Amino acid sequence: MTLQKLTRPWTAFNYGFLDESAKRELRRRILKAIAVPGYQVPYASREVPIARGWGTGGLQVTLTLLKPTSVVKVIDQGADDSVNASSIRKFVGRVGGAVETEDTMEATIIQSRHRIPEEKLREDQILVLQVPNPEPLRPVQPDMSVAREMHGDADYGQLWLILYEQLVKAGRIMQGSSYPSMVNGRHVMTPSPIPRWDVPKLNQADHLTILSAGREKRIFAVPPYTSVEPLVFDDVPYRVEDHQDKTCYRSDVSGFFMNELPQDDGSSLYELSDSHFGVKNIQKSEGEAIEIGETWYKNGRVK
Amino acid sequence: MAYVATRGGERAIEQAERLFRDDLGTITRERIEAVRNGLPYLIDRVMGEASLYEPDLAALALAQAGGDLYEAVLLLRAYRTTQPRLTVAEPVAQTDLFTVRRISAAFKDIPGGQILGPTLDYSHRLLQVGVLKGESYTPDPVIPAAEPAPAVQPSLATWQKAQGLIKDYPAETVAPDDIPDLTREPLLFPASRAHKLQSLARADTGGTLALGYSTMRGYGSVHPTVNELRLAEAPVRMRHPCGTIFSAGRVRVSQTEVVSKAMELELGFSATFGWNEVKVIAAATLDLASNQPNPHPASNEEFVLYHTEPVESSGFCIHFKLPHYVTFQSSLDALRRVKTDREEATAGKIVAEAEDQSEEEEVAL
Repeated sequence: MTLQKLTRPWTAFNYGFLDESAKRELRRRILKAIAVPGYQVPYASREVPIARGWGTGGLQVTLTLLKPTSVVKVIDQGADDSVNASSIRKFVGRVGGAVETEDTMEATIIQSRHRIPEEKLREDQILVLQVPNPEPLRPVQPDMSVAREMHGDADYGQLWLILYEQLVKAGRIMQGSSYPSMVNGRHVMTPSPIPRWDVPKLNQADHLTILSAGREKRIFAVPPYTSVEPLVFDDVPYRVEDHQDKTCYRSDVSGFFMNELPQDDGSSLYELSDSHFGVKNIQKSEGEAIEIGETWYKNGRVK
Repeated sequence: MAYVATRGGERAIEQAERLFRDDLGTITRERIEAVRNGLPYLIDRVMGEASLYEPDLAALALAQAGGDLYEAVLLLRAYRTTQPRLTVAEPVAQTDLFTVRRISAAFKDIPGGQILGPTLDYSHRLLQVGVLKGESYTPDPVIPAAEPAPAVQPSLATWQKAQGLIKDYPAETVAPDDIPDLTREPLLFPASRAHKLQSLARADTGGTLALGYSTMRGYGSVHPTVNELRLAEAPVRMRHPCGTIFSAGRVRVSQTEVVSKAMELELGFSATFGWNEVKVIAAATLDLASNQPNPHPASNEEFVLYHTEPVESSGFCIHFKLPHYVTFQSSLDALRRVKTDREEATAGKIVAEAEDQSEEEEVAL
């Protein structure tokens, strides 16, 4: 018996980059986050080899969930081929040997910055959202320690107040993305800067969503079949972006969230924001045997 | 028509990275040594902010990043976090420090004496431009003192405490594994003393200076006096599994105590890896200021510790280069709606007014 036989051969880093103690901490925090939907659980948040603010929170969760049989999809603003999504996907492949995919239906883990895919996620899929600012109360209370007490007291009056002020000043609720939403009737969370279009996809979903802010060191979750209700007044209904009737100039598909592409003549073209969903639609129209999953929105309306 | 293939993005980022590295050329062992030996204060600054004491790795990080400090600190932090925490070294008291520089602004002379040590404080800041013309610059030799300064020095604060000038707090005994570790736990507020000093120890030098300077200038009630500033080498002593304590080497450290002259003398403290006087004076001032009742935001503990974190602040700052077109589209939608609402409302009003008028005309007829 030699010491060498008892140890594993030297490697530059652990499987999934993070060391086991970091993964264990993260798993415990994730479990707590699932147990208390919408509650922000503080965690140590290790440095990873990409810059803070570039998806380090989401990456730590993905690396913790990773196993050799995982199929990982990474999207940035809806696109798989965005440079940062490419970089993260490459890193996950490098340290975890996971299979990379662009197809929402094939993925077991989907790490996303600011979009939820248009195809419905299943119970066996986990959505990991990158979160720049985990605190919905930040506009009314920049101190995190005070905001934490306000969450404890469910003291959300000021959030309704700013929405009301927007209504009075602009005639409309001006909140664009990151629409504050009540989770499980108890904690208000920010759904991360996903468009309003995507918030209804979190409500009573089949899949688990984990939201992780690496820089701000907070993790929270929406477990499957949990209510997520945008903060609205009884007489002012929640409105998603006016994209119901826009048509993608590449795929000819309409009724989904679009990217607007300004044109020289002053007009705009639109293309599907969910890039691989667009690719699949094009492939299908060209006669390829492509399976397109059930979508949350049908004819531009959420079911 | 198909979407741009995914390879496009991947190829672009790969080539962009190659372009950056191509500008720096081949990194050799000689370059690392030149950086390490020629720029020790830069190495110190980076090691402090990375909270990783390893001059070779710091030099490598600087060389790889082409001197970009935030990139170098991130490289070291990302390496550090993968390393196991083997043990906790024995605590180092001020009297254990091999002190090379020690000054106090509070007294003309202090027990143990003022020791200037290596400093540019009183130098004339003149560029030796002759070097550019090929004349090497060799500094004048140091003439040793008649008597060498003692390697270790007493603590001035201990003398002040004995005089009853500064309140003494009993030292807490904490088991080594129970010492709070900022790199393994989240920073929460109110922060523990350990977390606060650890956070300041690895804070951004520039950020610490900016906030510390604002406090010194008047955004806050603290007008600090440097009670004692030290540049030293601290012995790293570890406990062997069989119980004996042995030295594993030394690390360069700086530390500062500042004292307030308000109602009573109060100490602010900061220490960091490496010799970095600006940072420890600024950080000790922030420590002192943050302990005051209702501190100004510039010295509020949460404000200071969050915003002087070099990896987090720099990362967030540069993340604004990432595409934000989905969030932008979402805001644009709301803005456009307000505009169309207003136009519709105005049009409605004109129609209504026109109708009113025609009714009046009818009545007149």
